[in-house]
Amino acid sequence: MNDDFLIVDNVSKSYVGVHALKNVDLKISSGSIHCLVGENGSGKSTLIKAIAGVIPIDSGEIIINGKTYTHLHAIDSIREGIQVIYQDLSLFPNLTVAENISLIQMVEERKKFISWNEMEQIARRELDRIGIRLKVDDLVEDLSMANRQIVAIVRALTQDARLIVMDEPTTALTKGEIDSLFSLISDLKNNGISTLFVSHKLSEVLAISEKVAVLRDGMMVGDFETSDLDTNRLVFHMTGKEIVHSIFQYQGKKSGEPPLLELKDLTKKPNYSDINLSLFRGEILGITGLLGSGRTELALSLFGLNRPESGQIWIDGRFQTMRRPGDAIRAGISYLPEDRHSQGLFLQQSIGNNLIVTILSRILNKLRVISEKKKLESMNRYVRELRIKTPTLDTPAESLSGGNQQRVLFGKWLATDPKIFILDGPTVGIDIASKSEIHQLIKKLAQGGMGIIVISDEINEVFHNCNRILVMKNGRIAAEVDPQHTTEQELTDLVEKKNGVAS
Amino acid sequence: MLDKLLKKHETYLFLIIIAYAVVVTSVNRSFMTFENLFDILRSGAGMGILAMGVLVALLSGGIDVSFTAVAISGGYIAVRVIMATGVDNLFAAFAISCSIGIVLGLINGLIISYFKLPTLIATLGTLNVFHGALTTFVGTESVNARQMPSCFVNFGSAKIITLVSEQGSKYGLSVFVIPLVAVIVLTWFILRFTMLGRGIYALGSNRESAKRAGFNITALQLFVYSYIGFLAGVMGVVFVSEVRWVNPVTLIGTELTVIAAVVIGGTKLTGGSGTILGTLLGVAIVTILYNTLVFLGLSAAWNNFFVGIIIIISIGITSYRNRIKNRKSLSFKT
Repeated sequence: MNDDFLIVDNVSKSYVGVHALKNVDLKISSGSIHCLVGENGSGKSTLIKAIAGVIPIDSGEIIINGKTYTHLHAIDSIREGIQVIYQDLSLFPNLTVAENISLIQMVEERKKFISWNEMEQIARRELDRIGIRLKVDDLVEDLSMANRQIVAIVRALTQDARLIVMDEPTTALTKGEIDSLFSLISDLKNNGISTLFVSHKLSEVLAISEKVAVLRDGMMVGDFETSDLDTNRLVFHMTGKEIVHSIFQYQGKKSGEPPLLELKDLTKKPNYSDINLSLFRGEILGITGLLGSGRTELALSLFGLNRPESGQIWIDGRFQTMRRPGDAIRAGISYLPEDRHSQGLFLQQSIGNNLIVTILSRILNKLRVISEKKKLESMNRYVRELRIKTPTLDTPAESLSGGNQQRVLFGKWLATDPKIFILDGPTVGIDIASKSEIHQLIKKLAQGGMGIIVISDEINEVFHNCNRILVMKNGRIAAEVDPQHTTEQELTDLVEKKNGVAS
Repeated sequence: MLDKLLKKHETYLFLIIIAYAVVVTSVNRSFMTFENLFDILRSGAGMGILAMGVLVALLSGGIDVSFTAVAISGGYIAVRVIMATGVDNLFAAFAISCSIGIVLGLINGLIISYFKLPTLIATLGTLNVFHGALTTFVGTESVNARQMPSCFVNFGSAKIITLVSEQGSKYGLSVFVIPLVAVIVLTWFILRFTMLGRGIYALGSNRESAKRAGFNITALQLFVYSYIGFLAGVMGVVFVSEVRWVNPVTLIGTELTVIAAVVIGGTKLTGGSGTILGTLLGVAIVTILYNTLVFLGLSAAWNNFFVGIIIIISIGITSYRNRIKNRKSLSFKT
């Protein structure tokens, strides 16, 4: 087609020994909405960076607007109208909203001097164009995640963009914000601007896109019309395998058994209030809700990181105060954090060390020094049991894939023999095959008698892995749902409706 | 309005200075005199000039510890050249010193850009290399007041305003404030009104984003380190004129004091954040402490002790306020 804005032609790129991209072809036409999907490690980021001119390609050509480039530079890509919004948003946290929005334009125009008035005007004009109210003098580091995303998008739009590439834009957005984003993308389309949307959330991919390009192991599996795809077919293209979903069957509680965890009127304003819940042995309790509903804040309170104002926490029939994580760990609670990179792993330490860091006191020998033998035993045990894929125990944790990193975190906490395991977003950003294996692991743990709480955004995940689901809204428990007697759609509606009116 | 003031680091620095002034004046009335003020300005001018350079380096996300070697190289070589050629002209002195400064600064910039070395390590290395080169190739002869060319001597004693004290002695505001003010205005202009300045902030704020935004990182870094070199060159001339006895082994070793002043001023060591006013207040605090603890009857040995305490208090305040902000939003980034 001759109105293809971007053509990626037979592009390959390797890093030392690893083929990140192999003979990749992609065509994006003007005014189209295109999605790019692929597991972690499939080459999505590399392809994006190649299109943006941030990394050089080994072979092949990138043709933008009819112009062929074998060595594309970032400034060329920007001048041709390609704007990339990376997952980290690439904003300058110490600078104001106005500066963040106007700076790129000024670099591109090769300006030498800046006029603060001009920057402010540009920022206000662009924000008005989209209909957003933000204070242009605020520092970006003080903004919420959603607002930062808006700044990033507005910035991209100031550049007469012809193609906007968005890398996982919806991870930190509420449902309402995601809807706004999608209507923005439709507006762009009507103005002849193409969007390339990279996402893990298959439901969103199928909802918004016209075409889906699938990458697997650095190769383009195909560029499909969205109308020809459904979730299962998409998963099949991405992984090459069929994934089977099954609902979790709970054994049922023994009569007279006290709850493993009981919360009575737990309150911490403004995070959450009047939380009453019970968790029994062998249950997997799901907690879902929109962003800001208080789920993570509640979980943090159970782990001693967000001390509640009032209410009680009872574990196995005994009253507990949670002032610090140590209290929680001693009481038998483990917590897998949302952000595994900055809150879970010691990235530069070896996998082995990450695995035993929670049980150092148990692997001491008679001289109270760490016993090599016990240490290796523990490390190997968890690598084996959790099937962590790593060349050696000494490999640094940061070099593992997302799925394997998560397994390391599971290992670290399972080593403490917890009674209650709280998992906050356990499969975020993890490839589909690993996702399903982690779900299997969770079910196995529950069957062994552990009480598990799964906090998740993905309705699909809580639906197939929990025997009971709580929906939180604005810090309160709004509903309790039994997946065996509801449908996924009903649950989705429950989560998304506002004050009784479906949105 | 008050709310906004209380949020600014500079407000707390002002308060510290005022509190100190009140305490010292109550012990010794000669603190609050023009004579003392002019004295402080003269002593602090050199540090102020260097601090502007350190500020720019820190803003760009890097650091430079070699500036003292650059300054003394510039100053000493300028003196020796003028003595040798007889061109007794202050502007020639500045020209020589600043050119040397820019060249040495460029060397720093090139090492950092092309070898991609961490800035601390690179400039730590060049600090020693420049100093070693100076003492080995140029010599270690000291130049005393009698031998010093008159342009330096005159520069050192020239005054803008001259007043007479109660005792009948003359004192005045040294012309050193002229290069100081010029440097401050130049730095302010660059940082606030040019893309170069924005680029420096961007680089320090988020290096990868700056790259992706199309900024020329190499050019920015070359500028930053040459600029520091240039400023060090200016300071070199001021220094030799002030001390009137110059030897290549002086000045080296005071880098940390200058950096401390900039950090006290609220500039983040991680980059992207810092103000000229804050830096000047930081320099003011350090200079005042160094110069006036004697008014309290404390010997010079106490200088470092107090500067150290101020550093801890200053960074403590910023750090504490940051933590409260993070704790409220449950972001565990310390």
